[in-house]
Amino acid sequence: MAIKVLAVDDSKTIRMIVKKAFNPFDCKFFEAENGVEGLALAAREKPDLIVLDITMPVMNGVEMLSRLKAEPSLKDIPVIMLTAESGRDNVLNIVKMGVSDYIVKPFKGVQLIERAKKIVKLEPKKAEEAAEDKSRRYFSIDGDIQHLVLPEKVTRAITVEVEGYLQSKIKEMVNSGTNKFILDLSKVTETNLSLIKLIILAAQHCQKSNIRIRIVSTPTLSNELKEFKEISAIPVDHTMEEAKAAL
Amino acid sequence: MNKINTLDLKSLVSNTINEVFDTMLSMEIELFDADSEVAGDGSRIVGSVSFAGEVMGSISIYVSGEFGRVMTAAMLGMELEEIESDEEVYDVIGELSNMVGGSLKSRFCDYGLPCELSIPSITTGSDFKIKSKNWSRYEGFAFRAFRHQQYVGFVEVYIKAGS
Repeated sequence: MAIKVLAVDDSKTIRMIVKKAFNPFDCKFFEAENGVEGLALAAREKPDLIVLDITMPVMNGVEMLSRLKAEPSLKDIPVIMLTAESGRDNVLNIVKMGVSDYIVKPFKGVQLIERAKKIVKLEPKKAEEAAEDKSRRYFSIDGDIQHLVLPEKVTRAITVEVEGYLQSKIKEMVNSGTNKFILDLSKVTETNLSLIKLIILAAQHCQKSNIRIRIVSTPTLSNELKEFKEISAIPVDHTMEEAKAAL
Repeated sequence: MNKINTLDLKSLVSNTINEVFDTMLSMEIELFDADSEVAGDGSRIVGSVSFAGEVMGSISIYVSGEFGRVMTAAMLGMELEEIESDEEVYDVIGELSNMVGGSLKSRFCDYGLPCELSIPSITTGSDFKIKSKNWSRYEGFAFRAFRHQQYVGFVEVYIKAGS
């Protein structure tokens, strides 16, 4: 079973570095920006490990830790403290607070994993299984049509994730002899670089494998997409029925 | 006062900058003497943290918008075009300032100059100067990465005796 890791840091950069470090392992990852959010998430998710920054606005890591230790249902959750300060007094204080370990910034993800492995059992992700299950969030089959449904906001992380599944989905289509692909953007409300990159990527994969692709989107979004030369050639429909009929 | 005057501030700052850039950005840098103007007169980002206690002062890192993006891509392990917003760049510069400031603070404390560290702040713009007054020690030097020679940043530290 996937272990739960909670990263509490006001810096998105540090949360991303921590998330990347745990990414190869079978983990569910949660993030909080300060001690208040961190405590709430800890109470709700009961994580197996908390990676906690010290200096944060709203509620700092020291206060969050003391409240965590005062709560019987949370006090045994192991905590790795992140600190930018390596002074003797600071380190002694951290150790006294009852943390499982601490890491002084600057740090590399691999150092964090080495420490985490001493506290929790980290299993490598079962790549194919995990990918297959998670791909269902975006990909589905309807008869002989492969659907790719994108959410309201396509972030860089989603682009990377979908990109990872795309090649195998196209390969499956080629192997099964199907050649119809619908890129469903009807939920998308924001045009950004990640979305455009993903549409171009899907179109390129389809073109290479002689797969017919159509986009389903709102009239507003389709007008915005027309501005992009690389996308303007892909036929767009405003309803799923129209797209299916046209394929 | 004596303790502050005997600190080898230059070595402290240069060692810290080298360590932070090497660990977090996998970026080898060289340091050289120059003034803060060297960071460019166009769009600039300045990340700062302050010390308060027996030593008072601040450390600031100046980079151009472009250098900030290169540093962000290096720290997050991504391509430049994958950076989604200026906020990501500001967060990276703020976090690097925090790490440099945290390391300096630790050395000050170990040297018998206990102090607290502020949360990092970011200043951006294209036509501004930051001046600290009444300091007793100052170190400032430029830095550039070996693999990105076209970009130059600047780091400066001001300190004085506190209460």
